[in-house]
Order: sequence, then C-alpha cells, then structure tokens
Amino acid sequence: MLFSFFKKWKKNRNFSNLKDKEFAFLFDEDTSGEFVVFDTETTGLDPKQDEILSIGAVKIKDNKILTSKTFEIYLRNSKNICSKSIAIHHIRQCDLVDAIDPKVAIKEFLHFIGARTLIGYYLEFDVEMINKYIKPMIGVTLPNEMIEVSEIYFEKTITLIPQGNIDLRFDTILKNCDLPNMGVHNAVNDAIMTAMIYLKLTKEKK
Amino acid sequence: MSILDQRKLIESIHPFELLSSSVLDDLMKKMDIAYYPKDTLLFSKNLPSIAFYIIIKGSVAEYIDGEIHNFFGQGDSFDADALIYGNTEGKFVVDEDLICYEIKKDDFIALLENKDVQSYFLQDFVTRHQQLKDYNTASDLTPFLISKVNEIYLHNACIVDADTSIYDALKKQKELKSSVILVRFKDTYAIVTDTNLKERVLLNGLDVKTPIIEIATRNVISIDINDFLFNALLLMTHNSIKRVVVMKEGEVKGILEQLDLLSYFANHSHLAAVQIDKAKSVDDLKNLQKDLKNIILSLDAKGVKVRYITKLISSLNTKIYKKVFEMCVDGDLRDKCALIVMGSEGREEQSIMTDQDNALIVKDGIDVELFFEPMMKLNRFLLDIGFPPCKGNVMVSNEFYRRDESNYRKLIDEWIVTLDEINLQNLSVFLDAKCVSGDKALLEGLKNYLFESFSARDDVLAHIAKAVLNFETPLSLFSGFVLEKNHHNKLDLKKGGIFALVHGIRTLSLEYKIDVTNTIERIKSLNNRGIFDKTFATELIECFDTLSSIRLKAMLEAKTLDEINYINPKHLQKIDMDLLKDSFRVVNKFKKFMIFHFHLNMVG
Repeated sequence: MLFSFFKKWKKNRNFSNLKDKEFAFLFDEDTSGEFVVFDTETTGLDPKQDEILSIGAVKIKDNKILTSKTFEIYLRNSKNICSKSIAIHHIRQCDLVDAIDPKVAIKEFLHFIGARTLIGYYLEFDVEMINKYIKPMIGVTLPNEMIEVSEIYFEKTITLIPQGNIDLRFDTILKNCDLPNMGVHNAVNDAIMTAMIYLKLTKEKK
Repeated sequence: MSILDQRKLIESIHPFELLSSSVLDDLMKKMDIAYYPKDTLLFSKNLPSIAFYIIIKGSVAEYIDGEIHNFFGQGDSFDADALIYGNTEGKFVVDEDLICYEIKKDDFIALLENKDVQSYFLQDFVTRHQQLKDYNTASDLTPFLISKVNEIYLHNACIVDADTSIYDALKKQKELKSSVILVRFKDTYAIVTDTNLKERVLLNGLDVKTPIIEIATRNVISIDINDFLFNALLLMTHNSIKRVVVMKEGEVKGILEQLDLLSYFANHSHLAAVQIDKAKSVDDLKNLQKDLKNIILSLDAKGVKVRYITKLISSLNTKIYKKVFEMCVDGDLRDKCALIVMGSEGREEQSIMTDQDNALIVKDGIDVELFFEPMMKLNRFLLDIGFPPCKGNVMVSNEFYRRDESNYRKLIDEWIVTLDEINLQNLSVFLDAKCVSGDKALLEGLKNYLFESFSARDDVLAHIAKAVLNFETPLSLFSGFVLEKNHHNKLDLKKGGIFALVHGIRTLSLEYKIDVTNTIERIKSLNNRGIFDKTFATELIECFDTLSSIRLKAMLEAKTLDEINYINPKHLQKIDMDLLKDSFRVVNKFKKFMIFHFHLNMVG
C-alpha cells in the first residue's frame, strides 16, 4: 500500500518534469495487453561515458513473441567503438553507416514502447542507458513498469536450492530453461531470447 | 543481423529453401514465435487450426483415435492439410514444451501461390516421398567426391635407369605389364609413352640400343597418393593426358590410368564381373568381397536406388555361385541337379553378405550320395570366399537341403499338413528360391507342385500370413526415440517393417501363383492382377525401397553381423527420419490390408 503510493508519487514527480508533451503517452495507463522486451548494445559498461550502438526490441502478447514486428535501430556515435566490445556485439564502425541520429532513434523507440511494461535481462543497465538520452531531451526518465527476468528466474530457482548459489548468467539461464540459443548476440536476438525466457518462466505449467 | 539468423533457420527447413529471397523476406515479417506448455491442445477436429507451425524447439504428437499417428520434432512443420482443407482427423497435442514459429492461416495460404511450395504441400504421399528422396540425393553426393587416390586400383610402374637401352626397358615393361616406362633421371623421373616410341624409334629409325633417356619426356605429371581422385581427373583433363604418376613422399607408388578412374566414377562392377569370370581358383574370388562393398558404397553415394544395387550385387553373387559350382561339381553331374539360393539371395535383395541360404535339388533317379563330396566342398569354398554360414543351417552341407525331387515333394506335402514354426520358416525360405546353376526345370517343377498344393487352401494361407503381425511397427516407439525418453536407442528395421512387407507379399504371391521372387517384382505382378491398385503398389514399392536403403546405410556402418538390422533414428538425417516415418505408416496400411484380405482377425 505504502509502496504503491510511493511509486505513484514518484511517477507524478517524474511527469511534472516532462518538457515535451508529445511524450505524455508514456505516462498513460497501458491498455494494449502487450509487453516490450528490449536490449541495447553499447560501447561499454559505464552509462556515464558509454553510448548506445543499437536497440533491439520485440513485443509479447499472451503466449506469443511478435517477431513479425521487431524493432531494430542503429545509433550514430560520437566516438569510436572500443575493440573489446566489438568482440561481444560484433558491431564495427563500418556497420554503423546506416545508423541514424540518436535523438531520432530514441524517439522512435519511445513510440514503439508506449506505456507498455518493459521486460529485460539486467534491465536496469539498459534503462539507465536510455535515460541518459531522454533525460536531457524530454526531461524525464522511463516511467514504465519493469520486469527483470533474472529476478523471476532467481525466485523460481531458489525454492529448489534454498542455500545454493544461483548462476544468473544469460547463457546459463537459457540452458537451464532448455531454450535454443539463437547464436549471435545482437540486440534483437537477445531481446527474443529474453522474451522466450520470460514466457517459459511465466507460462510453464508446474 | 538477427533477422538473418532466423532466416537461416527457416531456409534450412524444406521446402522453404525453395522460396525466393524476397518472398522469404516478406514471410519473415509475418512470423511470430509462440510458446505452448506441455499438453496444450493446438488444434483438432473441433478446434480449427489457425496457423502453420514450424518447431524451433520441443515436440508435438498427432493422435488419431487415441493412437499416436505422427510425431513432430525440431525443424518439423505442420499441418498444411489442416489449413488447406480446413479440417483434420488428428488431435495435435504439445508433447514437450513447444517454441515455434507461427505463420497465420491467411499468410500461409498466400504462400501457396508459390508453385514449388504448393506442389510440396498438396502432393499425395508418393510424390512427396519422391521429392524428399531427390532432395536427399542431391545433398548426398559429397562422399563420392571425396574419394582419394589410394582407394583406387593402381598399375605397377616400370622404372628403369636412364642408361638402360630402349630394348631392355621395353622387355621389362612387358614383364611388368605396365603401360608406360618411368626413367630415373637425376633426382626426378622422366616418362616414355607409346607415342614417344612411335615417333622417335619407329618413325625416326632410332636404334633400340640407344639409352632410354634419349626419348623420354622430362616433365612428368604426378599426384600425391593422398590427393582426391577428383583432382586426378582434373589434372588429366587439364593436361589432356591419359595417366598420372602417383607419388608418396617422393617415391613412385604406381600409375593411375584414366580408364580406371572413369570406371571408378561410373562404377567398377564391370571389373568385378571380369574378375569373377577370369577366376581360376577360390583364392581369386576371395578378394572380391571388398570390391563388392566398394561398388555398393559408390553406387549408393551416387543415389542409385537400392533395388538396382541389390540386383547388381545379386547378379555378381550368382556369377560367383556358378563359378564355385563348376569348380566343385563334375561336368556330367551338372545337369542332373539344380543349385538354388533362397531367402534374401533368392529374392535378389541381398546387398552386403548376409548369411548363405542354399540347397540342392537332385533329379529323380540319381543317387543323392553322389553329391555329398561336391556339396561339402562347395560349402567350404563359399565360407572361404566370405559368405557367412547360415545360422539355421540352410546350406547344401546339411543333408536336409540335399534331396531328390520326390523327397522335396514329400516335404511340401508335410508343410501343408503341419505348419509349425520351423516348417513355416522352411516354407518361407523355399518360396524365395532361385536357381543359380544346373537344371532350372527341376526348381520350376517343384514350384508348380507347391503352388498347386496350396491352391485354394485359404486356411493354410491365412496361417502363413499371420506372421506379418508378429512384430509391432515401431511408429509410436519411434517417436519415443525422438523424445529421447526411451532407453533403447536403436530400432530393428527388419522386424519393424521389412519382414512384414516381404512376408506378406510372399504369401500373396503364393496365393496367386506368382513365380517371380523379388519383392518389388512381386508387388508389380500383384498390381497387374488387380490385387493392389496402382497407388498402393507404388506406395509399397517406395516404402520398401526406403526401408532397404536406410537398412543398407546401417549395414555399411555396422561392425558386426548382429548390428546390421539396427539403426539409431537419432543418427538419421531429418529427411531420412521423415521418409522412415512415412514408410512405417505404409507398413501399417499394408498390415491392415493383410488382416482384411486373409481375415486374420478370425484366425486363432
């Protein structure tokens, strides 16, 4: 009760900072019945310094991952990509020729997610990266509800091995959920795999 | 990038690889991934199908009347019929948590405008089966292209020193029967061909005492023994030469002739036949086993239908029998008996040597004892050559299988009265008999007697036919393999399908007095008599061919004789797996036919 009150108050305070009324829809009550799973590829792991290279997202409705409507966008960058991160996401400088202006890209992303609940793996980081762009643009941070899949996984698993150390690495979760690894790590693929984990964890019959 | 990965997955599923890139792009935009937990009912008679499913992970079972009818695993797709015709007999239930692509009904129907896709989904069993097989052959060519030089017959090289006279060199060449002379020259070799001799010696009148090096061509084209045969062929074509020198670590190992290479690429059955004809002793025949196996391998790799391979092998085996027969039986006795082979050999369906089944029919009035010595010898020779002995002792060395005509007739009379398991087995084996040497008429006479004896004896025939139902078709068991829930990881092809087909067809042939022995020929004859309609006959032939071909692969891989009938479905390629499933379904259909035809449900 107190918690939900606090949440509401926080949301309201966030809303009062909104500079661009075009994005008021982010604060609407969600009626679509859909969720958005998203993932970002970045130049590094420090939200203060690093930038987003690409965003991939996919919607979930009921038991379906709507791969027919995936969202994938590459962002133009201010500096060169560090070679260490290239090894992870396989995005090279030359892959970014089609990249668009970060402001335009982020706006497109906001329209894609709307007021839907967001799902992700280590979502906190991705959200913080997005916030880094939208805060100066429209004055607010992402107000959407958020679901962390590693948290669901943790809670499901801890009941089985109460004292155990639970391995929360992405590939481990994927493996333990008996889900196919789609191969290459990129934003959309990771989003789809995360979506599968979410469906598996929430829709599975006990 | 990610769209590409998913595309790859779709493209790897037949028949989607037939789609053009733009159609595929379009399709990718219409597919969603869905998750269904175990036991979800996807669609059934009362629950119309709304999408076409392609399994990414998990499995689905199709039940008809409560029995497993089909089983779909990773990479499988279903169910076109339910979408096209708007209904289904089956009940599709998730067997293991399912993640799948879904193409919505309307999008799928639109996809069918593509001719190739349409023909794939709308065909009946036979055509689809055929198409799958063609697809399989196309991808199966590789083993043939990766044969190496050391796998082929190499001719002896005649190597002489540079200062040898032309005359001496030619003498040595004749001794070694080689087609060219290699001349050792400094650290390398030079070559003398017939052309060199003709132009330099005959036309230019060069003295034959001249050192051979004078007429040799310096630049020898060679290939390493571990190189691919395909490269040897390229080398010959490129340089327009008829032979290459084969080297191993700087030493000459032999000469590879274009003729051998081409016949290897065609098939070297011709060579084997010549070898059998030329054989003078049992020893000459011993080396053939390996050749026969190679022939099978290369023909199989080239996508030759198993029924043609087995025919070829049978005719080669018959040649061997004839040869051995001539070695053992004196001239004046040869037309007083008939050597017959039975079982799979008699049906011409034997590929790799399975055990020998043979017998001797002696003309009435001739002393059977005269054949004791020759037949013991014949049996010994066959064993020497590598025909494994028969476990049931169906061999000429056994007195039981060495009798005169009237004694065989007595045996047949006995079969009709008491048909216990052993008699039934003997009868079955005898029904497939084929004469390989001696007087054919002896066997024909006995076969006619057999047909007449069984004529109109429906009761006995039904009893014989019942064996068709002895073994369960492993269709439901088979899906268990896919599930990996079962501990048995192998499946008996012979018991599971081949036996039912062969034995059923054999019984029908007895009933309708069909004297050919080959299962496929028998099916064709039964079709001509109107027992099977054209479609069913074709289905049976395709099904038999598929089972035999998968069995052949198992045989080629088997290390011991006990393993040859077993396959591990998990090791099969996706396409073979589908073909196998289709075939088992035909076997089941055939069993139902037999039950109806012989009223087997009424036989105790």
